[in-house]
Amino acid sequence: MTSPESDLSLTVQELSHAYEELSLLYRLSEVFSCMSIEDICSRIADEAVTSIGVKTAAVLCMDENADKLLTRTSRGDWDNSREFPRDEEILWKVIQAKKPSAFCRLADTEHRNYLPAHRSLMVCPLIGKTRVVGALVVADKEADEEFFSSDSKLLMAISSQAGLAIENALLYAELESLLVGAIRSLVKALEASSCWTAGHTERVTEYAVGIGKVMGQPDDIVEKLKICALLHDIGKIATPKEILNKNEGLDEAEWTEIQRHPGLGAEILVELKQFKDIILSIKYHHEHWDGQKGLYGLKHEEIPLMARILSVADAYDAMTSDRPYRKMLSQEAAVKEIERCSGTQFDPSVVKAFLVWIRSFSPRRRVSLP
Amino acid sequence: MSKVIVIDDEPFILMMIEDKLKKAALEVVTIRESSTAMEVIRRELPDLVILDWMMPEVSGIDICRMLKQDETLKQIPVFMLTAKGQDADEQLGRQIGVERYITKPFSPKMLLEMVQETLGNDKS
Repeated sequence: MTSPESDLSLTVQELSHAYEELSLLYRLSEVFSCMSIEDICSRIADEAVTSIGVKTAAVLCMDENADKLLTRTSRGDWDNSREFPRDEEILWKVIQAKKPSAFCRLADTEHRNYLPAHRSLMVCPLIGKTRVVGALVVADKEADEEFFSSDSKLLMAISSQAGLAIENALLYAELESLLVGAIRSLVKALEASSCWTAGHTERVTEYAVGIGKVMGQPDDIVEKLKICALLHDIGKIATPKEILNKNEGLDEAEWTEIQRHPGLGAEILVELKQFKDIILSIKYHHEHWDGQKGLYGLKHEEIPLMARILSVADAYDAMTSDRPYRKMLSQEAAVKEIERCSGTQFDPSVVKAFLVWIRSFSPRRRVSLP
Repeated sequence: MSKVIVIDDEPFILMMIEDKLKKAALEVVTIRESSTAMEVIRRELPDLVILDWMMPEVSGIDICRMLKQDETLKQIPVFMLTAKGQDADEQLGRQIGVERYITKPFSPKMLLEMVQETLGNDKS
C-alpha cells in the first residue's frame, strides 16, 4: 500500500513533467517561426541540451538522396564529420520504426562499438509532413542517470516540431533557389545578346549587396537588392542588338533607345506582383539624386533606396570595365568620380557606404586611397 | 540551508515549485494568500522570494515594492512569475528591483537553475 503523501508526491512530479513539456512547446512555437535551417537546427540542439539535461545533442539531416545522415549542428562530444549510411544499426532502425528509442548502458550491449564515447543514447526521427527529414540524437544525462519516459516525451515534443520546421525550411530554400535560378536564366539570355555586358550583372550584384550590408540593411532587403541587381538591365533584352554591340559612340537616337531600358525592364516584370518594390527600383535606377538629369525627374527619397544603391554599383562597374566606345578607368579614378558626383548624381549616404565597402570589404578590388 | 519563499494563488504552481526546490535541498515556505506575505517574509527572512505578478488581494508588484522599501528586507532578490504576453510590464518590474522575470508556463528545471545561480552568487 502506498501512503497518501507518496501518492501526492508522485502526482506533483507527474504534473511537473507535464508543465515542463508545456513550457517547452511554448518556447518551440516561437523558435520555429524563423526560416533559416541553420537557426532552427541550432535552437533544437540548445533546447535538447537544456530541457532534457544532456551533455551531448546532435541534429542529423538526411542527405539529398536519402541514403545517409549528416550532422547539421551538435553540442557536446560529437564527431560532426561522421556520416551515418543507410542500414546502419541504431539510427536507421529508429528512422524505419518512425518512433523514438532509448539505448541505455551501451557498453553492455551489442551496440558497444557504435558510439563508444557515450554511455546511453536516445534517438528520435524528425518527421515532416511528407517524409523523414533527419534524426535528433541526445546522449548522456548531466546527472549520469538513465533516460526516463519523461525525457522521451520531451524529446518527442522537440522532434515533432523540429521535423515540420526543418521540412518547411527545406521547401522554402528550394523555392528560393528555383526563383534565383529562373532569374539567372533571364540574365543569361540578356548577356548572350551583348558581348559587352557579360559579367556586368554579377559584378553589380556583388557591389550592390556589399553596399546594402555596409548600410546595415536587414537580410530581407539585402535579398531583394540581390534580385533587383540581377534584373536591373533586363529591359535591354528589348534593345536592338546593333545598338548594344556598337563599336563606336552612340548618336542621340541610339542613346534615347538605350535609355528606355529601365522602363522596359519594369514593363517586362510587371506581372510579378510580389516584386512591386523591386520593379520600381529597376525603373528608377538611372535617376539622379538631385533630380536634375534623371529619366523621370525623381529626387532624393522619392527614388527608392534600392535604386539609389544600384545606381552607384552600376556606375562603378560601367566605369571600370571596357566599353566599345571608350577605355575603362582605373579603380582609383572611378572611385574619385563616384565621390565627385556624391550629392548630385548619387545619394551621399550610399556613396559613403560604397567607400567603406570598396576599401575594406572587397579584397579582390581593394583600392588604396588616402 | 537557503530558504525560499514562494507566493502564488495557484496551488499547483506552489506544489510544483516546492517539490522541485525541496529535492534540491532548499528550504521552502509557500504562501497562497498574498495578504499575509509581508508578515511571513518578515518572520522567515528568506534568501529569495518568488512572486506571482497577478494575485487577488495584494499583487506581486505591491509586495515587491514593500519589500524593496524595507531597510532590512530590500537585499532579498525577487523573482517575478508572469503570464505570457505581459512583456510591456517588464520595465516597471525592473524599476522596482525585480531580479528575474519568469514567463508562465516555465520550465521547473530552468527555474531551479536560476534559483541556484542567484543563491550561489549571493554567497560567494
